[in-house]
Amino acid sequence: MSKTDIDLIIGGPQGGGIDSAAQVVIRSFTIAGFESYGLREYHSNIKGRHSYFHVRIKEEPVRSLRYPVDMLVCLDGETPFVHMDDVTSNSIIIYDSDFGNTKLDQVITMEPETQKHIREKFQTLKVEPVIKNLMEYQKSRGVNVVPISFRKLITDTLGQNKPPARYSNTLGASISMAMLGLPAEITKSGIASVFGRKKEVVEDNEKIVDAAYKYVDSLGIKIKKLDIREYRERFMVTGNEAVGIGKVLGGLKFQTYYPITPAADESFFLEGHDYFEEAIENQNEQLRKTGVVIVQAEDEISAIAMAISGAMTGARTATATSGPGFSLMAEALGYAGINEIPVVLTLYQRGGPSTGLPTRNSQADLLFALNAGHGDFPRIVISSGDAEEAIFDAVKAFNYAERYQVPVIHIMDKVLANSFYVIDKVDSSKIKIQRWILPSSDNEEYQRFKFTETGISPMGLFGKQIFWLTGDEHNELGHITEDPETRDAMMEKRMKKLEIASKEIPLEDKLLVFGDKDAEISIVSWGSNKGPILDAMDKLREEGIKTRLIYLRLFSPFPSKEVAEALKGSKVIIDIENNYTAQAALVIKEHTGINVDKFILKYNGRHVTEDEVYKSIKEVLNGKDKVVMTSGA
Amino acid sequence: MAHNFKTDLWVDWCPGCGDFGILAAIQQALAEYNAKPENYVIVSGIGCSAKTPHYVNVSGIHTLHGRAIPFATGIKLSNPNLTVILDGGDGDLLSIGAGHFVAAGRRNVDFTIILHNNGVYGLTKGQASPTLPRGTKTKGLQRPNIYDSLNPVALALSVGYTFVARAYAFNIKYTKDIILKAIKHKGTAVIDLLQPCPTYNDINTKEWYDQRIYYLDQEKDWDPVVRKPEEEEVEKKYLQAINKSLEWGDKIPVGIFYQNEFVPTYEERIKQNFPNYFEDPPATSQISKKDGSAIVDMENIFRDKIVRK
Repeated sequence: MSKTDIDLIIGGPQGGGIDSAAQVVIRSFTIAGFESYGLREYHSNIKGRHSYFHVRIKEEPVRSLRYPVDMLVCLDGETPFVHMDDVTSNSIIIYDSDFGNTKLDQVITMEPETQKHIREKFQTLKVEPVIKNLMEYQKSRGVNVVPISFRKLITDTLGQNKPPARYSNTLGASISMAMLGLPAEITKSGIASVFGRKKEVVEDNEKIVDAAYKYVDSLGIKIKKLDIREYRERFMVTGNEAVGIGKVLGGLKFQTYYPITPAADESFFLEGHDYFEEAIENQNEQLRKTGVVIVQAEDEISAIAMAISGAMTGARTATATSGPGFSLMAEALGYAGINEIPVVLTLYQRGGPSTGLPTRNSQADLLFALNAGHGDFPRIVISSGDAEEAIFDAVKAFNYAERYQVPVIHIMDKVLANSFYVIDKVDSSKIKIQRWILPSSDNEEYQRFKFTETGISPMGLFGKQIFWLTGDEHNELGHITEDPETRDAMMEKRMKKLEIASKEIPLEDKLLVFGDKDAEISIVSWGSNKGPILDAMDKLREEGIKTRLIYLRLFSPFPSKEVAEALKGSKVIIDIENNYTAQAALVIKEHTGINVDKFILKYNGRHVTEDEVYKSIKEVLNGKDKVVMTSGA
Repeated sequence: MAHNFKTDLWVDWCPGCGDFGILAAIQQALAEYNAKPENYVIVSGIGCSAKTPHYVNVSGIHTLHGRAIPFATGIKLSNPNLTVILDGGDGDLLSIGAGHFVAAGRRNVDFTIILHNNGVYGLTKGQASPTLPRGTKTKGLQRPNIYDSLNPVALALSVGYTFVARAYAFNIKYTKDIILKAIKHKGTAVIDLLQPCPTYNDINTKEWYDQRIYYLDQEKDWDPVVRKPEEEEVEKKYLQAINKSLEWGDKIPVGIFYQNEFVPTYEERIKQNFPNYFEDPPATSQISKKDGSAIVDMENIFRDKIVRK
């Protein structure tokens, strides 16, 4: 039986319902019992510029996306141009034939640089850059082109009074699902699942589904019906939402933020789930009304300051930001360090420096996360690579923060933030909340920074003990001191906590090794690259090329011994990351002295795909020292 | 035995510093307000005034330059049952922390801001602060100040503070009374606390203030309090306060300029969505079951994320 493995892109203008189309596709396939994973790409713009959604559908869990895609759905005149190289022979392009005569220079939403690159491609093809010419070219290389007048189909179905632009997203999604062989009933369930409460919208869109399926029937193309699989209840979440869910499960009580892409969606999501009722011990107990306080601060400096001081009342507090906001938080991070405050900071990396690529991917803030703030202070830095890791890591971040009384930076990235994941329910009994707060009775002679063997002092709280905090060097009570011996002792006390953390944090939270353990080709990577690398490794294995992946999860304290051990026996070490300077490789070298031999890097802000990792690994195995990955629109 | 509000540290301000008066007034006000000592938190920024928390025997958090307001906000919103008092300098609150000073007016969190106003940055050797008038040459300056000064009382009024007052550091009893009223006020209270800097401000000295200060509550018909939640009454009291705030020079008014308790506090605004907020605040809310597992059930809270057939 041939296995299902479909890559689909739906592209259109920002504000044109790409997000809903994405949800319809993922929800429909989830209802049909398939696994899927999708990513949203968009400009820093509210309406008009090009955005698209890339999804992959399989029977088994989907870990990555892949080019070329099997189907490209174009809701506007920009998509066919921008994604012209994302299809290949036997791919299907569905496009709005009303744009057939659209010339490249009429696509005013397209950036001039992009227009120029596309014009150059047409010069090579020796045709005018007009969509109908483009479609002829695509047909000539074996692409199946399906033209549909979106306007006509929508007005024929819903009449003249409904604005066609409002329905082109579901029409595009429905056409694609009809052509992929998904039953209309399931697509309708998907629609209802997205637009649930809005009855009229659901009804209109259901008519669109019927019209789409009828239209596809009329084309006379033979379509193989998908075998529907068993439905089970799943959650569809973005990476932003996964972190939010993890935080709430882990006991988040106070979250602060200042709006920034791609971090703000997490706090925005939490604001929609901030007040709830829970039974503490069993179902029969009276429900407790409780909640999370979410504060939109006046800037990121305020956001981190509020989170830090809130933590000293005993609340589990966190903030979430992205590069520019994190830059503003650097000073306060040091304050949390010297005052040994358990605060969690979720860092969503995006393209830098400065404003950089606000809506695009990057992994270039690793060294900054490890070094932000002046002076030496301990911090824990962890990184997640998918939604499930993100949920559990959000819980662990709180536990580590409280156990070691340090700021914890939980690194995410834009691809994780804006991807749609379909996951199983996380059982609350699997969440381990570990608390190390001092009981309220110990008040007399309480010393906030008492010297102990581990360096960890009993943590007091405002409202329970009397103590002082200061950004100055301080004595055990928390009063300012510049005494050199006390300074040494305090510095050593603080830094020592990382040694304890190194001993206590389990191996699987430091790094994971995937693939053939005895392979001589080792890959090192982190974050959202995990999925595409694992898929590329599977492909290489089919060709007899054995590889192993050392996937890094804990960056501070850095697991030097464990990484060195995991890299033993490597003939070649390949570093794969989304930055220019190969930051993780620098960290490995710094802590272990081990040199990485080969580099596969990407810094164009777009997601890493299975095919380009596969291709790039082959290139480095054939002798190249460095490959820069460039895919993505 | 009564709680001793003094710590046994040597207070390292310059002899004659206005901070001594403010410190004494704070200690007396806390004793008189009579909350549980553990329930007080004093927050400060950076500078001479920022050392205040170390000298008061209640919990203190000496924070970053300009950031006392967000730190105080985090404490109060995580545990609204604490009494939070903030000490900041004029540079701290009105220059590096000016954005927070504005945001705090809009939030109206229930805490007290004591603005130590001496016109200079003392700890860095006397540079001009935002309250030093243009053309003034204090002895720490190379040449007369070329910035215009701002008016802290008018600024506070214009961004929404619901209690705006002025006090003078060397009238300790009066300052204590004003601090006490500020603590009791429901909402953010700001006190423009005039104080000499004997080391760097040789213009606004004790003698200079003694000749100019007069007390608003000794004025006939001065009523700074908004008595009913009506637009007309609010506007009348607000304009009266703004007018009074413009008085500066030969006569300097001290006292309460404006008070309006009809504006809901930020905490009350949270409570609108979260009825149990005061009883079950973030600070003390239970987050796990006895075995350490989560109380929160994903299916219950995040049910909108379930893909239903």
